[in-house]
Amino acid sequence: MENKNQNEDPKEEKVSIASEPIKAEAKPKIAIVALTSCEGCQFALLDLGEKFLELVEKVEMIDWGMIEDEEDPGVDLDIAIVEGTPITEENVETLKKLRKRSKLLVVLGNCAAMGGIPEIKNYHEGKNTIKHVYRYIQGIENTEIKEVDNFVKVDFVFPGCPITAEEFLKYFPDLLEGRIPDRTDQPVCVECKAKGNRCLLLDNKPCFGPMIQGGCDAVCPTSKMMCQGCRGLRPKGNVKAMRATLKKMMTDEEFENVTEIFGLRDDISERESKM
Amino acid sequence: MISSRNGKYLFCPRENIFHFLSLRGSTLPWQSSICSTILSEFFGLPRKYWVQYLLAKTDRIANIIIYNYWKFMQIKINHINKMEGHAGFMASVLKGDVKSAKLEIKEGIRLIEGILIGRHYKDVPIIVQRICGICPVVHNLTAIKALEKAMGVKISQETKDLRKLLEWGQIIHSHALHLFFLSLADLLDIDNDLKVVEKYPEETKMAIKIREFGMEIVKVIGGRVIHPLTNEVGGFKKVPTKDEIKKLIEQGNEALETAEKLGAFFAQFKFPDFERETEYVCLNSGDDYAIYEGDVASNKGLHIPVEKFENNFHELQKPNEVIKRVEVKNRNVYMVGAIARVNNNSKWLTPKAELYLESLNYSLPDYNPFHNVIYQMVEVIHSIEKSLITLGLLENMNLSGAITKDYKVKEGIGVAAVEAPRGTLYYHIDLDHNGYVKNANIITPTAQSLSHLEMDIALYLNDIMDLPEEKRTQKLRGFIRAYDPCISCAVH
Repeated sequence: MENKNQNEDPKEEKVSIASEPIKAEAKPKIAIVALTSCEGCQFALLDLGEKFLELVEKVEMIDWGMIEDEEDPGVDLDIAIVEGTPITEENVETLKKLRKRSKLLVVLGNCAAMGGIPEIKNYHEGKNTIKHVYRYIQGIENTEIKEVDNFVKVDFVFPGCPITAEEFLKYFPDLLEGRIPDRTDQPVCVECKAKGNRCLLLDNKPCFGPMIQGGCDAVCPTSKMMCQGCRGLRPKGNVKAMRATLKKMMTDEEFENVTEIFGLRDDISERESKM
Repeated sequence: MISSRNGKYLFCPRENIFHFLSLRGSTLPWQSSICSTILSEFFGLPRKYWVQYLLAKTDRIANIIIYNYWKFMQIKINHINKMEGHAGFMASVLKGDVKSAKLEIKEGIRLIEGILIGRHYKDVPIIVQRICGICPVVHNLTAIKALEKAMGVKISQETKDLRKLLEWGQIIHSHALHLFFLSLADLLDIDNDLKVVEKYPEETKMAIKIREFGMEIVKVIGGRVIHPLTNEVGGFKKVPTKDEIKKLIEQGNEALETAEKLGAFFAQFKFPDFERETEYVCLNSGDDYAIYEGDVASNKGLHIPVEKFENNFHELQKPNEVIKRVEVKNRNVYMVGAIARVNNNSKWLTPKAELYLESLNYSLPDYNPFHNVIYQMVEVIHSIEKSLITLGLLENMNLSGAITKDYKVKEGIGVAAVEAPRGTLYYHIDLDHNGYVKNANIITPTAQSLSHLEMDIALYLNDIMDLPEEKRTQKLRGFIRAYDPCISCAVH
């Protein structure tokens, strides 16, 4: 989904989507809503501690279940922030209502953007996966996993599992002003190199870094963990070249398996079919 | 539209009729599709119009009549905030007696156990930690332990120490979050945390400072706070440097001082009086405040090795429920978490944590579930002290022994349990000879304590029945949150 954003003309991205600029004196109205997820992306925000409290002071928090009990008054929003995968009917309804009352809708994290780990089932047993888990399956909502942008228009994505909180702080001020931020097309490798890490690929260890959108401060390779692509393909990511490089290190089956974890597999097949 | 939000009297004499008519989440018979279809068929007006009109006119009057005549009342909370995951609450009261009290779980199913089947074991810790954004460390760790048992992989003492540190870090930051940001507002009868922050700026800073220490441990050792990266079967991909450990020790000393101050702040609060004798279950290693290893033990004489867990504890799914409740064979419901651990294992608390516990003047065994919150404070102090001791040991050690060494992939069944912030977390993983998962079972703390919570709340409801509706709802929410349930974990 992120790629759809990226593929658009960069000039267009800068154009304000909000019909009228948000007035300086009124604080922008924000809601943070979780669909089905681990809620880790919200915690990534909360974990910013005082930095996040400073940010909260600049906005009017209309609804955020994580920190308040007050009933959502249902007023129009400047920015709706959504985390998670829409799995239940209630999730879908929440999402659609939110879109209707918001100028901008941005999503947090891999689940919302790419389907996340729940999407693994789509690649295998699909709806039948439930049989391994529950005895009584009647009456349980068991849908195919679809990303948020299958239901509503998404204006901006903070990718990753979980999101990179610093990236949120970097782009959020733009969103507050009603602008869609412009993200540079840059592989994970750029930050990885800047950190002085030794490239995993040089040691014949697989890593998806070259084809994946950077901005995560290369947190995985820095811990000697291969990049598994939770942030999604970058616009110019070359899947074919990546496959060729990885041939020596992993089988095709292993490659497919790893791409399933963060919902990358369908994006890769889409990209390959276009090539 | 008037639907019964936050506990309204309901127009329906009998519970079963009510449930029949309100199958799809509507709360009044008027709203059921049967009624509204009849209305629209006969009067040719849009369904919505009639439903709204009738509701507006009759809701309040009818309910009052029904309540006075049949003495039936339904208490409902649509959504409980400040808790991980989605859940509401529903109770029915007849003639002043609580007939049922139930947490309505509204979480979507991710089928984690199902998607693990057929996957390579290396994916398992990566996937399962994403069950929960608060406690990824313990899901990751328990899965790794179960996989190591399945394949017979031995780990070094350094690895074990680093993993225990990860767990303490996890407990510190999860508890600090729950104590201060999810529960304190309830103690103060405030409905928004931002107001708490305004009222207690100093204490907020303290809570953040403590939380940051817990997070820093996980970050330094695990590579990242949420969904850590370095821990794997056999050891660690990367170990912290001496400098990093030194810095952690400095930060820990400050955090310990802060925790004692924050502890004193929490000690001044009076918790509601409520008691029900119960069984507390947690790990017991016989020589330590067990979090990483030990047998499963209770204050009522249960003592079994972790391997026997599934023989003694049963997961039951009721039709239409996405949560699997856990019950002990031939026994009653039981409780897990900080309150269970402090009750069962208080003799192994560190000196400062023990001192703090004494200062509270609670006599153990303590059967007041509200005190779970204050016992989390005890555990925060304990965990900071414990991590400082371990960090001190590791400071002068060569940690390269914790780096993963080669091991053989083998067929086998592995079971493991650790103490997660909310209670005992149990994993069972069955591997084939190529290291692919044949079967997996995950039993979370909240699945174990949910029935206990509902039983407690049915009793507690009697105490607060006469309060005004709004106040009662607030108390109910507070009670549920004191338990610190994690619905995302329970429905995984």
